[in-house]
Amino acid sequence: MTLSRRNFVKQGLALTFTVAGQPLLLTPREAHAAKVPFSILSAQEAGTLRAICEGLAPGAGEGGVAHFVDQQLGVDPDNSLLFIKYFNVAPPYVDFYRAALSAIRRLSEETFGASVAALKAGDAKALIESLRDNKAADWDGPPAPLVYHVLRNDAVDVVYGDREGFASLDIPYVAHIEPPPAWRQ
Amino acid sequence: MRSAEKTDVVIVGSGAAGSVYAALLAEAGKSVVVLERGPARKLKDLYSSQIWARRLKWGAPHVLDEGRDSIWHNFNAGHGYGGAAVHHFGIWPRYHPEDLRERTLYGKGRDWPLDYEQLRPYYDQVQEEVGLSGDAEQEIWRPPGAPYPLPPLPVFQQGRLLARGFAALDLPTAPIPAAILSRPYKGRPACLYDAWCDAGCPTGALANPLVEYLPRALKAGAALRPDSHATRVLLDADGERAAGVEYFDGKGERREQPADLVILAAFPVENARLLLNSAAGKHATGLGNASGLVGRCLMTHPAVNIFGLFKEETRCWEGVTGGQLFSQHAFAKDQSKEAFGSRQWVLGLGLKPNDLLGVAMSRADLFGAELHRFMKRGSRHLGAMIGSCENLPEETNRVELASQRDRFGMPLARAVFDAGDNSRALWRQAAAEGLKIFKAAGATETWHSPPVGQHVLGGTLMGKDPSTSVVNEYAQLHDAPNVVIGGPGVFPTSSAVNPTFTVHALAMRSARRLASHWPQFVR
Repeated sequence: MTLSRRNFVKQGLALTFTVAGQPLLLTPREAHAAKVPFSILSAQEAGTLRAICEGLAPGAGEGGVAHFVDQQLGVDPDNSLLFIKYFNVAPPYVDFYRAALSAIRRLSEETFGASVAALKAGDAKALIESLRDNKAADWDGPPAPLVYHVLRNDAVDVVYGDREGFASLDIPYVAHIEPPPAWRQ
Repeated sequence: MRSAEKTDVVIVGSGAAGSVYAALLAEAGKSVVVLERGPARKLKDLYSSQIWARRLKWGAPHVLDEGRDSIWHNFNAGHGYGGAAVHHFGIWPRYHPEDLRERTLYGKGRDWPLDYEQLRPYYDQVQEEVGLSGDAEQEIWRPPGAPYPLPPLPVFQQGRLLARGFAALDLPTAPIPAAILSRPYKGRPACLYDAWCDAGCPTGALANPLVEYLPRALKAGAALRPDSHATRVLLDADGERAAGVEYFDGKGERREQPADLVILAAFPVENARLLLNSAAGKHATGLGNASGLVGRCLMTHPAVNIFGLFKEETRCWEGVTGGQLFSQHAFAKDQSKEAFGSRQWVLGLGLKPNDLLGVAMSRADLFGAELHRFMKRGSRHLGAMIGSCENLPEETNRVELASQRDRFGMPLARAVFDAGDNSRALWRQAAAEGLKIFKAAGATETWHSPPVGQHVLGGTLMGKDPSTSVVNEYAQLHDAPNVVIGGPGVFPTSSAVNPTFTVHALAMRSARRLASHWPQFVR
């Protein structure tokens, strides 16, 4: 699959996903819609990530945040596009994500009796507030506020960080140089 | 292991300092090899995206962050040709004469081994070469120096709104001194004011190393080697002087680059790590570490971001990332009884929706529908400015080697840092004043960020006395004068000023000296 630069500009952040052994250039949104298999995260981890990020920034789930993170967890830390690199978390970053997502899943099930994806809106909000405010009961993951900030920024990247996101805020993108059609590691 | 042909100069790092050394020494006829840890990169690789821009920031090897405060290493450091200077914002004020004589004048901090008048000609020459925009007359605090070669950058809606607050409180502002072209200059275009500086300026309007000094170095015959991971400085048979640099190439093969002169121009933390990891021969505790001060006096500029929402549209997505105006009205170091040191404001930051300095992070507490409502409003009505504070050189703030190792077997760096009570007091003053200014400007809501670390300095301080400093006034190690340190790691004091202009001036002064006294380095 090839994309012209013009098409890429319209689509935003396109990454190389591997499907049936073949590299495929897709935006995270397209990868989500196409149900591209995850390379690093388990289906359960990806589901938790998608659900919590949807609560953090509405639109992140359909925007393909789980595919964005999953693809980037396969990239070396120097070239990573993930916000987590700013927080000086020791790589490999997958260790952080696995521990965080596992702890979020347990917190949701033990506190609210359901997976994050199945939470009512009020419960999802309470869960996120407990992370943000470091008040999650029996939390056994990485520091909860750090988890909140990392995942929130992943969600923000997917929802607001490309042309489509800028357009949703009614502000111009005004690029000097558009990203190329492929990010190949 | 493969050893290359001996060269006159080997430089570790291709950023602000390394690129100046490479250009000037190559132009002086020296054979120069530059080892860059990251990838080769050209202007056309600098994409306008805050997500993609993270490739320009440090990722590995990991720097362990310990102590009360973070130096925000990965955000401040760089990766690839041009180093951190590729994503720097191009804000280039000068250090003040009193910054260089703090111990003498105030009994605080340290003295530099040179005074402002010795540095001034190099500031003037650098600004002429790269093209600085500004208004020297309006900068009532500006140290003596040649006028800027270019008129100031334009002020946009956000800058005008925030300036209103300063004016209401009778506080002065001036156009920001910027290494960004307000007019075409020496074949380079003027800025387009689209505020993508943090993602790297691909047009050549912002004077990053890819624009000026690396092309000059290449033209003069210097060789740049990307994916070259320096691990230690090699010593001669006497174990006294440097003989070259050990590094690993992109394939993981160990190599040696022999040279008469070694210049370590990596990031301050990495320079200290390399020196400490080069302990051998007569340098048993680390190369150049007879004073015990290698890695010591790590500094940053504790900074506060002031935010406010305005009824008017601020159009905060336009301009330049680093700000449109600035003020050093609070620069006098002894103005306060509560805290010693300088403060600086930069007003009117160019803001994109995402990333560390973006609209969303300004209200990191918001999520869900509330976040989206804020994003809709903030993207068009937010104003922002940064207050930078001085940080005193404390020996307890340090870089040291950790027990963990990177993939080449080199110990990781541990950065231990506490901003200190003095800087915290300055920071509180800045936060309070910033909110007052925003209210005076008419903001309907105001708030500020927690402390953040802006720039990284120190670790290889310069001074006259070898027992209390690491390098001399030309940035040569006291204990091994054919090793030179580039970058803000040599600054004995932090001031509250963005360091890149001074990094260039010091590198130019040192490079000229090295070229004119070359026989001292050759054996």
